Amino acid sequence: MIAIEVPEVNYTEYSNRQLVAVPLAVLALALAIILGWYLVTGAPANLGLAFTGGVELRVADDGGNVEERIETEFDRQPDSIRSIPADDVYVVTFRAADEDPEGLAEELSQQADDAGLTTTAIDQVSPSFAGDTARTAIFGVALAFLGMSVLVFALFRTFIPSLAVVASAFSDLVIPVAVMNLLGIQMTLGTIAALLMIIGYSVDSDILLNNSVLRRTGDFYESVSRAMRTGITMTLTSMAAMIVMAIVATVFGVDLLRNIGIILAVGLCADLMNTYLLNVSLLRWYKFEGVKR
Amino acid sequence: MLEPIKNNWRILLLVVVVVGASIALFAPQFAPETAPGENQSEASQGITNLQYGLDLEGGTRVRAPLEGYTATGVDFAGDDPVTAERAVADELDGVQLRDVGSSVGEDERAIEVTDPAVTEEEFRAAMDASGYSYEGVRPGVTAETRDLTQSIIEGKINEAGLSGGSVQQVQSLSGEYFVLVEVPGEGRSDVVSLLQERGTVQINIAYPSENGTAVEEGVLTQDDFENIGTASQRDRGTGSYVPVTVRNTAADGERPPAATFQQAVVDRGFPAAYQSEGDRCGYNPETGEIENSNPCLLLTVDGEVVNSFGMDPGLADSMESGSWADSANFELTTPEFSTAQEISVNLRAGALPAELDISGEGTSSTISAAQGENYKNYSLVTGILAVFAVAGMVFLRYREPAVALPMIVTALAEVYALLGFAALVSYPIELAVIAGFIAVVGTGVDDLVIIADEVMSEGEVNSRKVFDSRFRRAFWVIGAAAATTIVAMSPLMVLSLGDLSGFAIFTILGVLIGVLITRPAYGDILRRLLTIR
Repeated sequence: MIAIEVPEVNYTEYSNRQLVAVPLAVLALALAIILGWYLVTGAPANLGLAFTGGVELRVADDGGNVEERIETEFDRQPDSIRSIPADDVYVVTFRAADEDPEGLAEELSQQADDAGLTTTAIDQVSPSFAGDTARTAIFGVALAFLGMSVLVFALFRTFIPSLAVVASAFSDLVIPVAVMNLLGIQMTLGTIAALLMIIGYSVDSDILLNNSVLRRTGDFYESVSRAMRTGITMTLTSMAAMIVMAIVATVFGVDLLRNIGIILAVGLCADLMNTYLLNVSLLRWYKFEGVKR
Repeated sequence: MLEPIKNNWRILLLVVVVVGASIALFAPQFAPETAPGENQSEASQGITNLQYGLDLEGGTRVRAPLEGYTATGVDFAGDDPVTAERAVADELDGVQLRDVGSSVGEDERAIEVTDPAVTEEEFRAAMDASGYSYEGVRPGVTAETRDLTQSIIEGKINEAGLSGGSVQQVQSLSGEYFVLVEVPGEGRSDVVSLLQERGTVQINIAYPSENGTAVEEGVLTQDDFENIGTASQRDRGTGSYVPVTVRNTAADGERPPAATFQQAVVDRGFPAAYQSEGDRCGYNPETGEIENSNPCLLLTVDGEVVNSFGMDPGLADSMESGSWADSANFELTTPEFSTAQEISVNLRAGALPAELDISGEGTSSTISAAQGENYKNYSLVTGILAVFAVAGMVFLRYREPAVALPMIVTALAEVYALLGFAALVSYPIELAVIAGFIAVVGTGVDDLVIIADEVMSEGEVNSRKVFDSRFRRAFWVIGAAAATTIVAMSPLMVLSLGDLSGFAIFTILGVLIGVLITRPAYGDILRRLLTIR
């Protein structure tokens, strides 16, 4: 039987600078990707329907080469067509930058009916509403992050360890956004929820580590390895749940659950790196050098 | 006798919560309320008392702002609101008085325009030209108009017999108000046409004649109303009223409606019948007969009499002298504010006081019932598989069923308790809520891992004291982690970001149930299992 053994890492072999280099390099790369995306596309991520506005139809697959018909039967060229085999539907997206989306939704559903296509769902978002949603979402994430930071500082009341937690939480948020860009995952309401969830989830292992090192007696390396044993089990358990959720939801075409699953899995992966490289080295510096000053 | 209860109260509390959740989920007493004309089995969906949201049941959701502009902080300079409305309407080309409204309350003194053709600049110019000073102009309409719109839409949904339909007002971050309409089981075009359709309203006069009560039909019809106000309360004294203005203009060669109405009122003997404040209309809606000898005004919607009114002696006199038609306004008065609201709704016969801007700034979504059913099954499968994944990881890590099995059971109890809560408060289960459940299993197991590792670290647990001190240490971390999750999720709960408030509410609730009930109970279970040896 396979068993999970949390590996013992011999931190003494590496200097703080070496340990910090990897997570900082990844963070810098992620920020560069997001910045590049912003410069090229005008938005930091691939914005979904909820943030751009437009119409999305779900068209039932009745077996008669629906995909071809979708491409030809609508007066407008669809921006994307996605097939969901388990559900026998195609998701067809039309962006509408400044046109009348309600009229467009009526028109498209009419055209689908005329072409003998069965629409099972229609979503319509107007561009100005979408802009409002985007602002609200950014505000929400910023507020959550700020609240978490204040709480962490209040809990530990020491600067460097609290900063370590906040820094790795920041990196945990930025890396999934960059990965989303690379994988072509759209920013939707579901991914916003997932990003907020990362703030909640990822801080757990950081708090565990800080608590073990700062509030408990014992050798630094002993405390770290104790926290790692628990923390890595926690993160892997959550990741397992999220990966399964992402895979199953992809097969079934339940977008919301798929997006939440993927983002959380990536975020938790980033958290493993940030907690046990970035956070540990900051704590070690604080413990052995920072305190003496 | 009390000792075992005292020692195991945490486990007992968990049992009580689980039993309570079962009652909420399955007992018929907690079944969803039935809509009018619907029987119990139609109202409940499936074997549990759970209610499902639109994305799992199918239906249409429309979310849109009301079109119009409102000037706030208006100084009416002692004029009555209708005069001010008229002054503003006169400054706007092609805008009728019925498309200009006002609100005079303690916290709001505002004038609004609800004609979608009017731009903000035009409205500002009209306000400036009218001579009333104001503080600013914002998009949207007054609170009264929003409330009236909401109750009209509610009325439409109830009349159409659509069970489970709901209307709410939601506010966005920028302070703009939206009307959110949800109708399960209906397609988008049905809902949009329901929102736009209107009935026919007219005012008849019932009067005593030789053979019982006679009715003169259509003394006022829909197009004769120049303005229908919102229900207002009297500043002094009691009672509420709806101000109404009748059109006093007509095409060449025709008499204006105000004049014909005035004539009809006088011909049917109102001035003679209503001499003092004590004279009342004696119309009985059951029989359609007048029970005293006074004529009455009847408000009918689609041919049904919905309200009846007598007439104030002063008003009747001014009609007799012929001076009323010059101003052509009157107030429909009732003692109750709620009746006044109903009258205002009835007078509009389903026409919304301001238009829903679905295309410009709104959103709408429709999901077919079959698609909803699929989502329901798929998310159930997804949830179960996610739980299996967590269970698998936990078994691989501990390889000891005594530690791992209670962990899975406790985490599931948490979700079960949440489901019970959802059934108890009739919160509709949506996809986002299910994602919240899966997130709860994830965080729940995380915390149980912290407890298990902490308790079993550093050698054998041989006494209760050792166990308790370790458990308390573990709990500090869990409490801190729970607090951060709650802080991170709380913005979603209040911001209007679609379905995500459900996700946030259930994640937060799950964390609370976990920290307060299930995780302490797991600690007790673990203690019994570990210290028994």
